[in-house]
Amino acid sequence: MALKYAYHPGNIAHSSATEVSQTMEPTTRSLGIELFPMDGATSCGAGIIRQANDLLQVTLNARNFAIAESMGMDIITPCAATAGNLNEDLARLKRDSLLLAKTNDVLQRTTGLTMSGDVGVHHLLHVIVDEIGLDKVGQKVRNPIDFPIAGFYGPNMQQDGACGEDDVFDPQYLEMLIKALGGEPILWESRTQSVGVPGLFSEEATVLRQIASTIHDAKSEGAAMIVSACTLSHTALDVYQGKAGRATGISTNIPVIHLTEMLAFAMGHYNNRLAQLRTRIAVIGD
Amino acid sequence: MSVPPLLILFGSESGNSEDLATIAEKQAKSLGLTPSVKGMDEVEVGNLPNYQNILIFCSTWGEGEMPDNAVDLWEAANGGSPPSMSGCNFAVCALGDTSYEFFCQSGKDWDEWFEKQGATRLLDRVDCDVEYDDPAAEFTTNALSLIASSGTGAANPSDEEPSGESGEPSGDGGPEAQIETDSDDLEGLLSSGDRSLMLLFGSQSGNSEELAAKISKDAKSYGLEGEVHDMDGFDFNSLSGKKRVLIVCSTWGEGEMPDNAEELWQFAISDSASRLEGVHFAICALGDTSYEFFCQSGKDWDDQLEKLGATRIIDRLDCDVDYDAPAAEWILETLPALAAVDSTGHFHDGMVDAIKMYASGSSAGAEGEDGFSMPEVKSEPIQASVSVFRYDPETCSTGTDTWLCSLPGHMSVLEVLRTLKASQDGTLTFRDGNSDDSNTAISINGRLVLPGLCRLDSAAPMRDGSVSLRIEPLPGFEVIRDLAIDPWSLERKRESSDPWMVAATREGAHTPQGVMGTMDPAIASSLHSMKDFGSQNILHSSSDAVPHANGYLGPAVIASTWSRRNDPRTSPSKAEEIDKMLSSPNGIKAETDLASINRQSSVPRAVSESLLVAKNSVLTGDGFNGKHGKHVWWYTWTVKSSGMVNDTVIYRQALGPFALLGNLFSGVTARMVLGFTRTGGNVFNGMLGMVAPPAGIGKMPKQFNSSVENHHEVVAIFNEMDGRF
Repeated sequence: MALKYAYHPGNIAHSSATEVSQTMEPTTRSLGIELFPMDGATSCGAGIIRQANDLLQVTLNARNFAIAESMGMDIITPCAATAGNLNEDLARLKRDSLLLAKTNDVLQRTTGLTMSGDVGVHHLLHVIVDEIGLDKVGQKVRNPIDFPIAGFYGPNMQQDGACGEDDVFDPQYLEMLIKALGGEPILWESRTQSVGVPGLFSEEATVLRQIASTIHDAKSEGAAMIVSACTLSHTALDVYQGKAGRATGISTNIPVIHLTEMLAFAMGHYNNRLAQLRTRIAVIGD
Repeated sequence: MSVPPLLILFGSESGNSEDLATIAEKQAKSLGLTPSVKGMDEVEVGNLPNYQNILIFCSTWGEGEMPDNAVDLWEAANGGSPPSMSGCNFAVCALGDTSYEFFCQSGKDWDEWFEKQGATRLLDRVDCDVEYDDPAAEFTTNALSLIASSGTGAANPSDEEPSGESGEPSGDGGPEAQIETDSDDLEGLLSSGDRSLMLLFGSQSGNSEELAAKISKDAKSYGLEGEVHDMDGFDFNSLSGKKRVLIVCSTWGEGEMPDNAEELWQFAISDSASRLEGVHFAICALGDTSYEFFCQSGKDWDDQLEKLGATRIIDRLDCDVDYDAPAAEWILETLPALAAVDSTGHFHDGMVDAIKMYASGSSAGAEGEDGFSMPEVKSEPIQASVSVFRYDPETCSTGTDTWLCSLPGHMSVLEVLRTLKASQDGTLTFRDGNSDDSNTAISINGRLVLPGLCRLDSAAPMRDGSVSLRIEPLPGFEVIRDLAIDPWSLERKRESSDPWMVAATREGAHTPQGVMGTMDPAIASSLHSMKDFGSQNILHSSSDAVPHANGYLGPAVIASTWSRRNDPRTSPSKAEEIDKMLSSPNGIKAETDLASINRQSSVPRAVSESLLVAKNSVLTGDGFNGKHGKHVWWYTWTVKSSGMVNDTVIYRQALGPFALLGNLFSGVTARMVLGFTRTGGNVFNGMLGMVAPPAGIGKMPKQFNSSVENHHEVVAIFNEMDGRF
């Protein structure tokens, strides 16, 4: 029986990371996950709206939770930043009954909705490992992703209560999944560190060093490719890697793809894109 | 499991050796050992072989003479038949003064004596000059680590001086074979040989019987097998073969025995009653203070058992009609004492506390000097792979050393490091200190911790039967050697923040103590929570931006400064100065991602929340100007305008035309436009790419977003929560 989830695509899957939304759909279909769009759901705030008005982000996400609750489903997202922010706000609302009451009051007056907190937020990775099982994933593999792969988690979902049964500081889920897909997981230190996306526009020099350092770590451990569980980090690691390399003098050329792309390719979707990826790894580099 | 004792022995004239022994005691306890510290005038030479490990701190006096408190022991040790010390490990730290001819002679004498008697030297003797602190500390650390790692002195629950008669039963052995119990073997004591507890009740109304039954039930927790007997029909002489007897007896009428006890009592005071040497007993007397002969029956039993040669293990309890509470309290003292009587009838006084702890388990509650320490929960050895970052400043080389160890799970990571240093690699460098010393902080698998407070079995998840630790110095600091960091970079940043109070002139409050400044408790509590980070080094390192942002003051300095900014005592001019610093390029805006701080469990939530509030305050104060403010502003604005993020608007508004142009030449724009070459996706994402390129081409974000369903709800929330957008 299919697992049913309310689908939150993250913040930029509709714009600068369309490959995530394109590959999420066939991936989940192959895995037996049925996605139900959260009509009307907003951005999770990415921790940025919080910097302007903390309670505003909480209230917007409370509306997202209310929508999911009305659907009777937990939320699934392919973006670690979204999973982390939604989980953080959900935990606060559950922990602080006064905040929940105040937030519901605003929600009720502005939208007619209320939330109870009876909803869960899951990243695709945790649903795969905790709910579906890696053995079943392994059975679905058509094209083994047989590269040395560095899995990138980022810091947002590697928090207590936001990373399923995985360990916050020494996670294994991505490595286990890479192995199940036929790849060779690389163990590297920077996999749970921030690449500074929230400061990308304002603290570019720092963020470029963070990006270069992260990529350098993966490359020095022998990775041929980075797979990111975070859409925002994935985009920064990909789009800004050239600039980061020039700014720091560090070699940063490496293919960076999203978790959903790797899953889709492994399960036989978009074979042409996998072929292109293989070529990039074998010939071009980045 | 046998847990042999550790004796720390000092021969001291001026107190220096005694001080060192005391320090060693504390250190030994931190390693899970339970040492016994004694002056040389407090032990008999014949008892020394009963200790498996002996550390000696001994000064030298005059012309190579023993200090006063060591003279007798030394003479006894060199008397007619000195004991064999075979099987004993020892180490000597000798204190002396090189200006004397017989430098450290006493320590040398003891060193030779122990060796001559067959003891094994744990490590070479250390001869200390008047500046003895460092060599003595090193000696202590090395010696104790060796003992801890060998397990020969681990978890000794007793500080009792062993009996000089070990090897022979000390009580009247019964006819059956007796199991001699090592005085320090708690598990052995509680599980071997005769563990019966005879509970006799003399009861008229049933209270004594009920209480005896309760005690019998409680006795199981102390490794005792309670046998409850009615005094009526009980064979008194059978008590002579018992080791532990507890009587609960009420008093009837004018100090009379209850009905069921009278016959037994008459026998007990007759000539036919057996002697009870070797029996330890306790009496709980129930009575009523309104009667003249209050608890008389219990008193009678107490006197009579003593007359028959039994040993009173604890003072009799005389209970009034409300006996529940005093009885419960008395039981908590009595049962551990009775449990400390072994099967030979020998009472192990020093084991009583350990038995109490054993019986109370992990839920025992407070103990220790401060009354708040939880008892340590011990665990079995676990397999651990410990990889430690190494850095040699002389050769500027880095690397990793990995040790595969089997260590007790309850050992702290700091103890693990000490053990590795003592037994594997003496050059391993890390900051040592008390368990809560913030300077000892390290990174374990990316988790920033105080290693003295981090148990091995909780430092990392257990996988395939073992834990794997990657131990590194705190990030964001320069490394001096291995795990030792140089905290001065942070100190200099702290100094640059002018971290002193410039107070405003305030009106004091009239109090009974006179006029003084006061603070609202809620504000005081809030200020405290903002700065309630145990280790500023850990908080500083928790930011992933710190290693990459050279001037950034870091979250530790920011949190302290923000606390001062919110302190009502701060003068307006100082507050203004702080505001400038916080909004400077090295202030809170330099923090690129608060998520890296939030996830560190060592950083209290209140601290990370205060950093967010500080950032919000700074951005608001700046009117959301500057790149940072514009990024936040336009991100929020786009969510209001459609419910979704519009990357194009953010790029354009936050970066401005010059930065956008810079992106064009730096390759960022090119990589966005050519994104399809990497994703394999469409060149054009919809009609937009055809109509308004480069938006919608490759990975270039869309120019416009369609609004989410029920977008008016989003607008309504914004209007309700924040009218600025």
